[in-house]
Amino acid sequence: MMEENVFILHPSEIIRKGLALILQEYFKMEITQLSSINDLNSFAAISNNLIIVIIQKGLVLPEETEERLRKNNQFNMVSLSASTDMEGVTEGYDYDLNVLASNLEIQKLIQVIRKSASKSKAATVENGDLTQREKDVIRQIALGLSNKEMADKLNISIHTVISHRKNITEKLNIKSISGLTVYAIMNNLLDISDINPEELI
Amino acid sequence: MKIFDKENKISSLVSTNSNLLPVINRFGIQLGFKEKTIAEICAEKNVNPDFFLAIVNTYTNENYFPEEELLEFSPLLLIDYLKTTHKYYNEYVLPKIERLLDAVMKTCRENCSSLKMISTFYQKFKVELHIHLTQEDEKVFPYIIDLYHNRRLTEGKTIGAYEDEHTSVEEKLSDLKNLAIKYLEPTYDSNAMNEFLQTLFQFEKDLYDHARIEDLILVKQVMRIEESLKTNAAR
Repeated sequence: MMEENVFILHPSEIIRKGLALILQEYFKMEITQLSSINDLNSFAAISNNLIIVIIQKGLVLPEETEERLRKNNQFNMVSLSASTDMEGVTEGYDYDLNVLASNLEIQKLIQVIRKSASKSKAATVENGDLTQREKDVIRQIALGLSNKEMADKLNISIHTVISHRKNITEKLNIKSISGLTVYAIMNNLLDISDINPEELI
Repeated sequence: MKIFDKENKISSLVSTNSNLLPVINRFGIQLGFKEKTIAEICAEKNVNPDFFLAIVNTYTNENYFPEEELLEFSPLLLIDYLKTTHKYYNEYVLPKIERLLDAVMKTCRENCSSLKMISTFYQKFKVELHIHLTQEDEKVFPYIIDLYHNRRLTEGKTIGAYEDEHTSVEEKLSDLKNLAIKYLEPTYDSNAMNEFLQTLFQFEKDLYDHARIEDLILVKQVMRIEESLKTNAAR
């Protein structure tokens, strides 16, 4: 699940707080309220998130910041206008919102943005049990073998060893060699007498 | 989440994010704020308010990155702060985690070998963290202090070369947590384990923010000094 950041950029505290309250009522998302557009510069380093900037209509972001955020994130800019005359989406913004919008309309908008973001997101890794081969690899990792040694021993290419290791880490969410060693022992892939705990763990 | 400024009350800071309590303590600020603002308390405690805000905002907002003008304070201030944090880890947090882990171990009646593995793994993590903190205290910080005072580059030494190893320490802590959550047989008292785990979670977040402060503020400041010295030398 991609992390979500919502920024509400508006000089009016009433509007910032009110909109934040409405959003929090329906969605669990990180909301940052900023009174000045330049404050967003401090967040330009965000990457790989879904970002929704709700901004007073007419305001534009510092160019460099917007470019950077767009490049590294699913970036959506929503204009918030005070007048009710809607003429389609205004240039420079991805979506339009009106201060008179109902709760329902606000919810809908967020859902549309979320949907479009999840469409462009890459397929997630399957999260299953380890295959026999992956268990073999963990055992060798725990015994302290290098990728090359493992490849020779298991009769597979180094490339395959590396790909197994990547899958193991993704499935178990354990990255360090000592962590994998502990995993192997706790799950009886290895007996503690096979290793020197002082050295490996 | 919000960005704090000098006019905010210091009490609102703590109410918004209670994790800031040990952080503000490191500035010599303790509870009993009354109605004081950040600016007032900083003046009282002789703390540079820009520095204070850069730290608490970086701590509170995961994605916050102080702007150039907020990085004008001396790196020596930051080093003092980081050293105090290291001391807090070594003298308070790590002993606390160890005490809680011991308490879990004591509640285990049978089949305790997996729990012992967790404990061994924790020791390994602790040693690695200790090496990392000592390396900063004894090598990295003195390098920066020397660079700052003498304004002289040393052949082969840069902050880039020192920048390392946060990740491997963080990896181990995360592995430790996952092993305990996913694979450990529950042969222990749950309350004791929960307390241990919650402290680990808290420490993980703390270490992560600590590393961000080093990488986003300190390293940046030092690189700027190195750059300007290089430019001067080229002239």
